[in-house]
Amino acid sequence: MERHRMLKESQIMKIHYITGIAAIFVVAVHILMRLIVPFGSSLEYDYIISNYKNIFYVFILESILVLISIHGFNGIRIILLELRQNNAWENMITIMTISATIALIAYGTRTIILANGL
Amino acid sequence: MKELEHDSRNNLEGLKGWLNPSRYGWERISYWFQRITGVFLLIYFIGHVYETSTIVNGQNAWESFLELTQTVWGHLFLIMVIGASTFHSANGIRLIFTHVGIGLGTPGRPDYPYNPSSLNYRQKSGIWIALILSAAAMYYGFTVLFGE
Repeated sequence: MERHRMLKESQIMKIHYITGIAAIFVVAVHILMRLIVPFGSSLEYDYIISNYKNIFYVFILESILVLISIHGFNGIRIILLELRQNNAWENMITIMTISATIALIAYGTRTIILANGL
Repeated sequence: MKELEHDSRNNLEGLKGWLNPSRYGWERISYWFQRITGVFLLIYFIGHVYETSTIVNGQNAWESFLELTQTVWGHLFLIMVIGASTFHSANGIRLIFTHVGIGLGTPGRPDYPYNPSSLNYRQKSGIWIALILSAAAMYYGFTVLFGE
Protein backbone atom coordinates (compact mmCIF):
# COMPACT_ATOMS: atom_id res chain seq x y z
CA MET A 1 0.00 0.00 0.00
CA GLU A 2 1.48 3.34 -0.99
CA ARG A 3 1.77 5.81 1.83
CA HIS A 4 1.15 9.49 1.23
CA ARG A 5 3.54 11.86 2.94
CA MET A 6 3.89 15.63 2.94
CA LEU A 7 7.66 15.31 2.54
CA LYS A 8 9.88 12.50 1.27
CA GLU A 9 12.58 11.21 3.60
CA SER A 10 15.21 12.56 1.18
CA GLN A 11 13.67 16.05 1.52
CA ILE A 12 13.54 15.73 5.33
CA MET A 13 17.23 14.72 5.28
CA LYS A 14 18.06 17.90 3.32
CA ILE A 15 16.19 19.94 5.94
CA HIS A 16 18.16 18.08 8.64
CA TYR A 17 21.48 18.99 6.99
CA ILE A 18 20.51 22.62 6.27
CA THR A 19 19.26 23.22 9.84
CA GLY A 20 22.44 21.59 11.20
CA ILE A 21 24.81 23.74 9.12
CA ALA A 22 22.82 26.93 9.80
CA ALA A 23 22.75 26.14 13.53
CA ILE A 24 26.58 26.00 13.61
CA PHE A 25 26.74 29.63 12.41
CA VAL A 26 24.07 31.08 14.70
CA VAL A 27 25.34 29.18 17.76
CA ALA A 28 28.84 30.51 16.97
CA VAL A 29 27.43 34.08 17.18
CA HIS A 30 25.63 33.18 20.43
CA ILE A 31 28.89 31.87 21.98
CA LEU A 32 30.82 34.92 20.75
CA MET A 33 28.32 37.12 22.61
CA ARG A 34 29.37 35.28 25.83
CA LEU A 35 33.08 35.72 25.07
CA ILE A 36 33.29 39.41 24.07
CA VAL A 37 32.96 40.22 27.79
CA PRO A 38 34.37 38.15 30.71
CA PHE A 39 32.33 34.94 30.95
CA GLY A 40 31.03 35.74 34.47
CA SER A 41 29.85 39.21 33.39
CA SER A 42 28.13 37.78 30.31
CA LEU A 43 25.68 35.96 32.61
CA GLU A 44 24.73 39.03 34.67
CA TYR A 45 21.02 39.88 34.64
CA ASP A 46 21.40 43.36 33.11
CA TYR A 47 23.68 42.10 30.34
CA ILE A 48 21.26 39.29 29.46
CA ILE A 49 18.29 41.68 29.40
CA SER A 50 20.25 44.06 27.13
CA ASN A 51 20.84 41.08 24.81
CA TYR A 52 17.09 40.40 24.65
CA LYS A 53 16.47 44.05 23.69
CA ASN A 54 18.91 43.89 20.78
CA ILE A 55 16.81 43.09 17.69
CA PHE A 56 19.75 41.49 15.84
CA TYR A 57 20.44 39.23 18.82
CA VAL A 58 16.75 38.39 19.25
CA PHE A 59 16.75 37.24 15.62
CA ILE A 60 19.81 35.06 16.34
CA LEU A 61 18.16 33.55 19.46
CA GLU A 62 14.91 32.78 17.63
CA SER A 63 16.90 31.24 14.76
CA ILE A 64 18.81 29.01 17.21
CA LEU A 65 15.55 27.98 18.82
CA VAL A 66 13.85 27.05 15.53
CA LEU A 67 16.88 25.45 13.85
CA ILE A 68 18.00 23.30 16.81
CA SER A 69 14.43 22.28 17.71
CA ILE A 70 13.78 21.04 14.16
CA HIS A 71 17.23 19.43 13.83
CA GLY A 72 17.19 17.86 17.30
CA PHE A 73 13.71 16.38 17.25
CA ASN A 74 14.14 15.16 13.68
CA GLY A 75 17.35 13.45 14.85
CA ILE A 76 15.39 11.74 17.62
CA ARG A 77 12.78 10.70 15.04
CA ILE A 78 15.50 9.19 12.82
CA ILE A 79 17.01 7.24 15.76
CA LEU A 80 13.62 5.89 16.83
CA LEU A 81 12.70 4.89 13.27
CA GLU A 82 16.00 3.01 12.98
CA LEU A 83 15.04 0.88 15.98
CA ARG A 84 11.61 -0.17 14.81
CA GLN A 85 9.59 0.16 11.62
CA ASN A 86 5.86 -0.15 11.15
CA ASN A 87 3.18 2.32 10.11
CA ALA A 88 1.69 2.86 13.58
CA TRP A 89 5.12 3.40 15.19
CA GLU A 90 6.29 5.75 12.41
CA ASN A 91 3.12 7.84 12.57
CA MET A 92 3.23 8.05 16.37
CA ILE A 93 6.90 9.08 16.41
CA THR A 94 6.34 11.69 13.69
CA ILE A 95 3.36 13.23 15.51
CA MET A 96 5.19 13.22 18.86
CA THR A 97 8.36 14.81 17.51
CA ILE A 98 6.47 17.50 15.55
CA SER A 99 4.41 18.29 18.68
CA ALA A 100 7.55 18.47 20.85
CA THR A 101 9.24 20.76 18.28
CA ILE A 102 6.26 23.14 18.24
CA ALA A 103 6.00 23.11 22.07
CA LEU A 104 9.71 23.90 22.56
CA ILE A 105 9.68 26.68 19.95
CA ALA A 106 6.55 28.18 21.55
CA TYR A 107 8.04 28.06 25.06
CA GLY A 108 11.36 29.59 23.95
CA THR A 109 9.61 32.28 21.90
CA ARG A 110 7.52 33.18 24.96
CA THR A 111 10.77 33.79 26.92
CA ILE A 112 12.19 35.95 24.12
CA ILE A 113 9.02 38.07 23.88
CA LEU A 114 8.62 38.50 27.65
CA ALA A 115 12.32 39.25 28.25
CA ASN A 116 12.25 41.79 25.40
CA GLY A 117 9.49 43.64 27.25
CA LEU A 118 11.27 43.72 30.66
CA MET B 1 9.03 -7.88 -2.86
CA LYS B 2 6.70 -9.78 -0.58
CA GLU B 3 8.41 -8.27 2.48
CA LEU B 4 7.51 -4.76 1.31
CA GLU B 5 3.84 -5.65 1.33
CA HIS B 6 3.90 -6.34 5.06
CA ASP B 7 2.73 -3.53 7.28
CA SER B 8 5.29 -4.38 9.95
CA ARG B 9 9.01 -4.28 9.09
CA ASN B 10 10.46 -4.67 12.56
CA ASN B 11 14.21 -4.44 12.87
CA LEU B 12 15.20 -7.93 14.03
CA GLU B 13 18.09 -6.85 16.23
CA GLY B 14 16.58 -3.60 17.53
CA LEU B 15 18.60 -1.76 20.18
CA LYS B 16 20.93 -4.76 20.55
CA GLY B 17 21.91 -4.46 16.91
CA TRP B 18 22.34 -0.71 17.27
CA LEU B 19 24.74 -1.18 20.18
CA ASN B 20 26.67 -4.14 18.75
CA PRO B 21 30.30 -2.95 18.30
CA SER B 22 31.50 -6.07 16.47
CA ARG B 23 31.58 -6.45 12.67
CA TYR B 24 32.22 -2.73 12.31
CA GLY B 25 35.21 -0.45 12.87
CA TRP B 26 35.70 3.20 13.69
CA GLU B 27 32.72 4.11 11.57
CA ARG B 28 30.50 2.29 14.07
CA ILE B 29 32.03 4.24 16.98
CA SER B 30 31.42 7.45 15.01
CA TYR B 31 27.82 6.31 14.38
CA TRP B 32 27.29 5.85 18.13
CA PHE B 33 28.97 9.12 19.06
CA GLN B 34 26.88 11.05 16.52
CA ARG B 35 23.67 9.69 18.04
CA ILE B 36 24.73 9.80 21.69
CA THR B 37 26.02 13.39 21.39
CA GLY B 38 22.87 14.37 19.46
CA VAL B 39 20.53 13.04 22.17
CA PHE B 40 22.71 14.55 24.91
CA LEU B 41 22.73 17.96 23.16
CA LEU B 42 18.95 17.92 22.69
CA ILE B 43 18.46 17.18 26.41
CA TYR B 44 20.89 20.03 27.23
CA PHE B 45 19.07 22.35 24.80
CA ILE B 46 15.67 21.68 26.40
CA GLY B 47 17.24 22.31 29.84
CA HIS B 48 18.90 25.49 28.54
CA VAL B 49 15.62 26.83 27.13
CA TYR B 50 14.00 26.16 30.53
CA GLU B 51 16.96 27.65 32.43
CA THR B 52 16.91 30.88 30.42
CA SER B 53 13.13 31.18 30.86
CA THR B 54 13.70 31.94 34.58
CA ILE B 55 14.87 35.41 33.57
CA VAL B 56 11.25 36.50 32.98
CA ASN B 57 10.62 35.98 36.74
CA GLY B 58 13.08 38.72 37.64
CA GLN B 59 16.68 39.15 38.80
CA ASN B 60 16.39 37.03 41.96
CA ALA B 61 14.93 34.04 40.11
CA TRP B 62 17.64 34.33 37.44
CA GLU B 63 20.50 34.56 39.93
CA SER B 64 19.26 31.76 42.16
CA PHE B 65 18.92 29.43 39.17
CA LEU B 66 22.32 30.52 37.86
CA GLU B 67 23.92 29.56 41.19
CA LEU B 68 22.97 25.95 40.49
CA THR B 69 25.03 25.95 37.30
CA GLN B 70 27.99 28.03 38.50
CA THR B 71 29.64 25.14 40.32
CA VAL B 72 32.56 22.85 39.48
CA TRP B 73 30.13 20.14 38.35
CA GLY B 74 28.12 22.70 36.38
CA HIS B 75 31.29 23.81 34.59
CA LEU B 76 32.37 20.22 33.91
CA PHE B 77 28.92 19.56 32.45
CA LEU B 78 29.31 22.63 30.18
CA ILE B 79 32.72 21.33 29.03
CA MET B 80 31.00 18.04 28.09
CA VAL B 81 28.43 20.08 26.13
CA ILE B 82 31.24 21.94 24.31
CA GLY B 83 32.96 18.64 23.41
CA ALA B 84 29.72 16.98 22.31
CA SER B 85 28.61 19.92 20.16
CA THR B 86 32.02 20.22 18.48
CA PHE B 87 32.17 16.49 17.68
CA HIS B 88 28.55 16.43 16.50
CA SER B 89 29.16 19.43 14.19
CA ALA B 90 32.48 18.25 12.72
CA ASN B 91 31.36 14.66 12.27
CA GLY B 92 28.02 15.89 10.91
CA ILE B 93 29.84 17.86 8.20
CA ARG B 94 31.83 14.69 7.35
CA LEU B 95 28.53 12.79 7.04
CA ILE B 96 27.06 15.44 4.74
CA PHE B 97 30.16 15.21 2.51
CA THR B 98 29.84 11.42 2.54
CA HIS B 99 26.14 11.60 1.68
CA VAL B 100 26.87 13.69 -1.43
CA GLY B 101 29.70 11.34 -2.43
CA ILE B 102 32.75 13.35 -1.34
CA GLY B 103 35.51 11.24 0.22
CA LEU B 104 34.04 7.89 -0.76
CA GLY B 105 36.70 7.05 -3.34
CA THR B 106 36.10 5.33 -6.65
CA PRO B 107 34.48 1.92 -6.92
CA GLY B 108 36.99 -0.88 -7.43
CA ARG B 109 37.01 -4.61 -8.12
CA PRO B 110 36.11 -6.50 -4.93
CA ASP B 111 39.28 -8.37 -3.92
CA TYR B 112 40.10 -10.29 -0.77
CA PRO B 113 39.74 -9.26 2.11
CA TYR B 114 36.85 -7.32 0.56
CA ASN B 115 37.31 -4.10 2.50
CA PRO B 116 34.77 -1.58 1.17
CA SER B 117 36.51 1.26 -0.64
CA SER B 118 34.05 3.73 0.89
CA LEU B 119 35.46 3.08 4.39
CA ASN B 120 38.83 4.56 3.53
CA TYR B 121 41.50 6.74 5.18
CA ARG B 122 39.55 9.92 4.28
CA GLN B 123 36.60 8.77 6.36
CA LYS B 124 38.85 7.68 9.23
CA SER B 125 40.74 11.01 9.07
CA GLY B 126 37.41 12.84 9.27
CA ILE B 127 36.49 10.96 12.44
CA TRP B 128 39.90 11.70 13.99
CA ILE B 129 39.67 15.40 13.02
CA ALA B 130 36.26 15.56 14.74
CA LEU B 131 37.71 13.96 17.90
CA ILE B 132 40.78 16.25 17.93
CA LEU B 133 38.66 19.39 17.37
CA SER B 134 36.37 18.23 20.16
CA ALA B 135 39.31 17.79 22.57
CA ALA B 136 40.70 21.22 21.61
CA ALA B 137 37.32 22.90 22.16
CA MET B 138 36.97 21.19 25.55
CA TYR B 139 40.44 22.43 26.54
CA TYR B 140 39.51 25.98 25.47
CA GLY B 141 36.24 25.71 27.42
CA PHE B 142 38.19 24.52 30.45
CA THR B 143 40.51 27.55 30.33
CA VAL B 144 37.53 29.95 30.01
CA LEU B 145 35.39 28.36 32.73
CA PHE B 146 38.11 27.56 35.26
CA GLY B 147 40.52 30.32 34.31
CA GLU B 148 38.60 33.14 36.01
